Amino acid sequence: MKKLSIVLSVLAIGLEVNGQSTTVKRDTANRLAEVKVDAKIKRKIESDLKMAVSVDEFLASSDNISFIKRGAYAWEPLLNNMSTERSTITIDGMHIFGACTDKMDPITSYVESNNLSSIDINSGQEGNMHGATVAGSIDLKRRSTPFGLQQNIGGTYQTGFEFNNRQAFNLGNLFYSTDKFVADGSVAFRKAGNYADGNNQEVQHSQYNKLNASLGLAYKTSALSAVRIDAIFDRAKDVGFPALPMDLWLSRAIITSASYKQLFEEGLVKVWDTKVYFNAVEHYMDDTTRPENLVHMDMPGWSTTYGLVSKVNLKKEHYSSELQLNAYDNLSIAEMRMYPQDRSKRTMFAYSWPWVTTRFASIAMNNSWDISERSKVNLGGSLGVNYNYSKYVEFNWIFHPGAPQKKNRWLPGLHASYELNLNQFDISVGTGFGHRAPSVSEAYGYYIYNSFDRYDYIGNPGLKNEVSYEANGRVGFKTEKISVAAKVNYFYIDNYIIGRILSLGSPMNYQSVGVKGYTSLPYATLFNTAINLDYTIRDNLHWKAVFTYARGKDDTGGNLPFIRPLSYQTSLHYGYRGIGVRTSLHGDFTQTNYSPEYGEDQTASYNIWNLSVDYSFSLGKFKSVFQAGAENLLNEYYSTYADWGNIPRMGRNIFTSLKVNF
Amino acid sequence: MKVSILIKTLGFYSAIIGVFLGACTKGKTDYEAERGAVVEEGTEFKEVANVATAGYTISIEALNGAFYRGYNDIRLRIKNTQTNAPVDGSTITFLPVQTAITGEKSSCPHQYELAYKADDKYFSGYSVFTSESGTGGSWTVYISFKVGNQTFSAIKDVEVKQQTNKNLNMTVFTGKDDEQYVIALISPRKPTVSENKLLAGIYKLNKPLDLSPRSFPDQFQFSYSQVEDYTLKLDPRMPEPSMGNHSSPNNKDLVQESDGLYHGIVNYTMTGNWTLNFVLLNPAGKVIRGTEVPKDFTPGVEGVKSELHLDILF
Repeated sequence: MKKLSIVLSVLAIGLEVNGQSTTVKRDTANRLAEVKVDAKIKRKIESDLKMAVSVDEFLASSDNISFIKRGAYAWEPLLNNMSTERSTITIDGMHIFGACTDKMDPITSYVESNNLSSIDINSGQEGNMHGATVAGSIDLKRRSTPFGLQQNIGGTYQTGFEFNNRQAFNLGNLFYSTDKFVADGSVAFRKAGNYADGNNQEVQHSQYNKLNASLGLAYKTSALSAVRIDAIFDRAKDVGFPALPMDLWLSRAIITSASYKQLFEEGLVKVWDTKVYFNAVEHYMDDTTRPENLVHMDMPGWSTTYGLVSKVNLKKEHYSSELQLNAYDNLSIAEMRMYPQDRSKRTMFAYSWPWVTTRFASIAMNNSWDISERSKVNLGGSLGVNYNYSKYVEFNWIFHPGAPQKKNRWLPGLHASYELNLNQFDISVGTGFGHRAPSVSEAYGYYIYNSFDRYDYIGNPGLKNEVSYEANGRVGFKTEKISVAAKVNYFYIDNYIIGRILSLGSPMNYQSVGVKGYTSLPYATLFNTAINLDYTIRDNLHWKAVFTYARGKDDTGGNLPFIRPLSYQTSLHYGYRGIGVRTSLHGDFTQTNYSPEYGEDQTASYNIWNLSVDYSFSLGKFKSVFQAGAENLLNEYYSTYADWGNIPRMGRNIFTSLKVNF
Repeated sequence: MKVSILIKTLGFYSAIIGVFLGACTKGKTDYEAERGAVVEEGTEFKEVANVATAGYTISIEALNGAFYRGYNDIRLRIKNTQTNAPVDGSTITFLPVQTAITGEKSSCPHQYELAYKADDKYFSGYSVFTSESGTGGSWTVYISFKVGNQTFSAIKDVEVKQQTNKNLNMTVFTGKDDEQYVIALISPRKPTVSENKLLAGIYKLNKPLDLSPRSFPDQFQFSYSQVEDYTLKLDPRMPEPSMGNHSSPNNKDLVQESDGLYHGIVNYTMTGNWTLNFVLLNPAGKVIRGTEVPKDFTPGVEGVKSELHLDILF
């Protein structure tokens, strides 16, 4: 806390000095937010079906993201069919780590759709700019209003109601923009009750209640530079997890940053952007609402991260480059305290994360050269160093006697790709290589209960780095009306980390059936493919479809868990004047390659049909949109391959929302 | 103007952030205090009692200045009452005797001839008191020592207190070989959630061959010895029903080492109540006492204990 206030006060002092010495110079050509050196595809936070979506729903519409769902809230995003340990998930490049050992609080649960502008997803080693990764990176980009907008003050208000789980939400955004100063603020409330499945049965413990607020202040210190501070506060309360033996009583996150951005008009360096950040997450579970529990248990968790991210963009003629420095320090603490039936007796206590510090620093570079009008080469690399320290290492010694308290790892990563444009075709091929360090749970976790396979998991501090070798390719074809793209990627991962049954020890959590230790498989392979089709049938009639298929195998040819079966999403959009009609169909085929060893059973196929209608109109001088629709129109009863404990998904859900821009 | 507003705003928000950061909703557990809550560590030797005899003062010392049921390290310091000069290097014997209400006398495992520690000029030994002073009876120690050719003796009543630290628990039992045994835990005094070196003394009553007492106190009538080359098989478990017979990995049975004591390894996976289930084997591998306990995970059922066990709490 002290450190943060120091950082902030230093910033404030710096600001004052800059503010006074700056000569006012109008230069609207250099609006900061308009500078985009790298052209990445940014998507609006809106799905094909709904305009008021949660972050999870939005991510779900991406073809390389799937989800592990433990309820209606806080879904764990899987990138390229790999869990969050293998990807880096950041908010504007800031690292944040959930405070729940059971992964009930992925980073995506601490933001809200109305404080994000876009989400950058990079597959595989292309995502190593933010830190060592195997699967890739998901960077949640916060909303930031540009300086000097014509409209000084504006905003958006969205409200809505979803009938299935009686979810009411109110999302508000406000901005203030002058040539020198910008303020962004947002507030979001969501409150939902239990949802009902396709058999109209209420799914107990699936409620949630979320508050999210954010504030960003930016001040232009010169024509080409600006400082900005941002803060997000998020609070989730009384969140049910039907697939787990406990719920969330409270989780809170405060995510703060202060950044300085400098643009350069001449020379090789175009942008220099530096940010210091701090975030703290607290997460408290609650099992008192579950009378079936034999033992009452407290499981609080805390995660605190300080960090720095500094980025330079270079560009000269046919060459452009990004250079990024990342550094962070994270402390993860998780406790468990069990209460005996006879409460007068002494409680039983252990750490599930025994005060584990992770310090990470990396330098990453991504270069691209336009070799000709039609072809381009990208070459990038990163080198990271990862340091772990377990304060109460004696917990780790129980299963791994003599394991060192400190551990250093070097994490290199490289990637290269070649892009070629041939008339209507574009082709790219790429390859990558990268290491990742085991996560806190994988290395230092202690009796972390996994309710999916019902084992207690033990970390292994001596795990080797996971080493990934990947190849990827893409072929696209585009005409004015049709675009088709096929993507494949293949990962060969050495020392693939996964839980294996241990012959020693016995479970601690009374629901569990045994103890699993994180171990390295000699290798595992993963193959992902997606085909995207886009067809503009008429100017106001669009059709889109995505097919995905993935296959994951361990070294013995057995199936890896949580690999999405053959799936599809298809949608049709028709617009006429102010009215838009959207319908979509999505589903998975039968899961044939499931893994009983990791607690999976075969999941049947399902098809879900959705429909929505929206109407744009003017409310006085405000542009407004009203939308109504239904998800799972046919009220199908289903659960997906990645639904924890096969809990059924939501049945028919009628939703309405109103969005007003002012 | 705007800058000052901005600075004020910044100040305001940093104050808000400060409040949020300062106030975690639930406090973190103070782990050091958590471990110390039940177990207090006594590391200092203090005087338990002193007795004067024929110009000499004997000071009896033990940890915390008290004797407890179970294993006690004992130090004796003898000095000339007049000159205050410590007596060194002579032969000293120490014999604890319990007198039951019925008048019956018995002893407990102890070191009869104390060893001289020249550095600190004291005599070192141990005694494993098998019961507390009180309704069961009272304890008296008989001390004799030689200065020159002269033998002096002293008798002192001592109080044996209840050992509240269950990690220093002990048990007395009769084995299948009809011998009387005592097992006493010596360390760890303050276990941690970790791998702990477990140290125990295992003693056997030497049945007096000649029952006619020569003179009281007769050390041969009250003699115990450390058992040699036995094995104490260990299976630690949490007996609480909700813990479902939980155990820990990487434990090692206790075997005798050169100091005569039995050394093993016990792993505690969390704080709370634990039971050390034992099976005592003689050098031939024959079971003297103890039963194997079920190893299954049985949530909701209180763990079955071996007929030879010690309960631990930390």
